[in-house]
Amino acid sequence: MLSSVLTKFGAEGPSVHVAPGKGIEIAGLTITNSILYGWIVAVALIIFFTWVARRVTVHPKGGVIQYIEAGVDFITNLVTSAFDDKKVGRKYVPFFVTLFFFILFNNWLGLLPIVGEGFKSGENPLLRPFTGDLNGTFAIGVVTMAVVYVASVRESGGFLNYLRHFFVGSPKNPLFLLIGLLEMFTDLTRVLSLSLRLFLNITIGEIVIGVFAYLGSFMAPLTALPFYMMELLVAALQAYIFTVLSVMYLAIAVNHSQDHSHDHDLTEDNSSETMKLASSKASG
Amino acid sequence: MFLAEAVNTAIIAKGLMIGGGFIGPAIGIGLIGGSYLQAVGRNPEASKFLGQALIFVAIVELFGLLAFASIFIVK
Repeated sequence: MLSSVLTKFGAEGPSVHVAPGKGIEIAGLTITNSILYGWIVAVALIIFFTWVARRVTVHPKGGVIQYIEAGVDFITNLVTSAFDDKKVGRKYVPFFVTLFFFILFNNWLGLLPIVGEGFKSGENPLLRPFTGDLNGTFAIGVVTMAVVYVASVRESGGFLNYLRHFFVGSPKNPLFLLIGLLEMFTDLTRVLSLSLRLFLNITIGEIVIGVFAYLGSFMAPLTALPFYMMELLVAALQAYIFTVLSVMYLAIAVNHSQDHSHDHDLTEDNSSETMKLASSKASG
Repeated sequence: MFLAEAVNTAIIAKGLMIGGGFIGPAIGIGLIGGSYLQAVGRNPEASKFLGQALIFVAIVELFGLLAFASIFIVK
């Protein structure tokens, strides 16, 4: 009897769908299972965070609200400490806090047993983690980088001023021009690297859990548990890293453009300024 | 007879990919962790930079994951 149970569990190989499965079709648009779960998580987050925001008090009574508060505080400190000008940093805190919690909860809720191969509609799983789909993470990456570009152009005051931060010195120098163009090109790969990192971490986590649940056969919960725990850590870490990297991309552009005005003063107007200072001192 | 006909080269390719692709990130993460512990050993106040160390772990890790993802492409 045991052998029949074993073969029942061991007969099929581990099956993990990497590509999103087609779900419902509305007016020619296909709703995939991953975007469906993304919407579910987004609605759940809106409801949950509205509930939390109503209950935030000066003296927290503990419970889940305290953890959310700690998380918000953590990201707020992270964003404001990255910028030289704290006022500029404060402006972008809401976006990055939202980004962090959206990715974090998508990653964590994607590990629930109801998401993935457990529940199927037809051939495809009914729900899939939103961040376990390259379309989803690419969308997050594009939106994030769009915000970063718009914000950095606005903070550095004009598009040309923004372009200047790519160059170490004057763009008339051929070496600096080459380095600047190379910097611009590496800037374009950020969308891809951000989205690929998140997607691969979550998907490969799923694959690893699937493989070890398969290898464990009837002891699947036991063999998959360590990897499950690791994935909980990785999910939080990836949300943190996505946020930190996008903050860094913004902070580099903004801080750099503010530094440049300093450079300008030091290199070109320096001589006359010191002369003026010296002359004013001499006269005074 | 060619070797490719007798042996399933895809499996060899996948093995080489995993082995070669994971050895780099493994060394890199080891170096990052080692340097972090060394820094903490010299200056215990440096332990607050664990977050920064983890960022570099994630950056290094990406290349291993790329190798892992590409074994599904090899047929």
